[in-house]
Amino acid sequence: MINLLTGINATASALDAERVRMEVISQNIANANLTRDVDGKPYQRRQVVFEKILNQAQAGNAGASETGVQVVRIEKDQRPPRLVFDPENAFADANGMIAVPDISIHEEMADLIVASRSFEANLAVVRNARTMALQTLSIGKR
Amino acid sequence: MNPLSAVRLPVTPDMMRGVTPDIARPTIPVYELGKLSPGAATQPAGGVAPTFEGTLGRIVAEVSESQAAASQAVAGLMNGQNAPLHQAVLAMEEASVSFQLMVEVRNKLLESYQELMRMQV
Repeated sequence: MINLLTGINATASALDAERVRMEVISQNIANANLTRDVDGKPYQRRQVVFEKILNQAQAGNAGASETGVQVVRIEKDQRPPRLVFDPENAFADANGMIAVPDISIHEEMADLIVASRSFEANLAVVRNARTMALQTLSIGKR
Repeated sequence: MNPLSAVRLPVTPDMMRGVTPDIARPTIPVYELGKLSPGAATQPAGGVAPTFEGTLGRIVAEVSESQAAASQAVAGLMNGQNAPLHQAVLAMEEASVSFQLMVEVRNKLLESYQELMRMQV
């Protein structure tokens, strides 16, 4: 296959990874008030773990090994739930306390900004690669 | 004698050695042209030189392949399969650039043909 857009594979993998990260953040925000997860405990904050991937097909070329990034797993944040006084709640204990996830919307929003900015940076790479290819093609024009 | 030659500062490369930072020369990859020779993948290794038609056909086939991949990615997106948006757009972009390359090759080909036709005999 002709490789016209240089480095596009690494960028595509990064876009993929950032997309998963955004999904996880949206899940965290959506479940910020979930007091009962499937296991009966309050929802635990999720975090993505990124890892480098090495494109084996191109690793053979000297120095031209193209690496990308991928989400290897989604981990649960082990911070304990917050106790809130809410005696009216169906899940309240004897003291009228319920356990809610310790999710700070501010933290999630900051993470969302980071994810969105790195997505943008990768898109800028794509744009530049496209421009470079088209400008190179315009050498032949009269 | 050139009068300006006396004005010029006698700077030799030896003098510059200490001034300029010792930047490591980037190693330029030496592309093996034999490997790059078009049609090498399709032609059997029987010493048959790749023809220009074969090369052109291969390029056209690859362009068509990338167009098909792009339309497949877009179809996957539109059908609601869990295809990511950027993959479709990247496939479209790749298809568009390779199509432009093909058009550029065709333009050059036509240009050279017309150049030949205009030749005085």
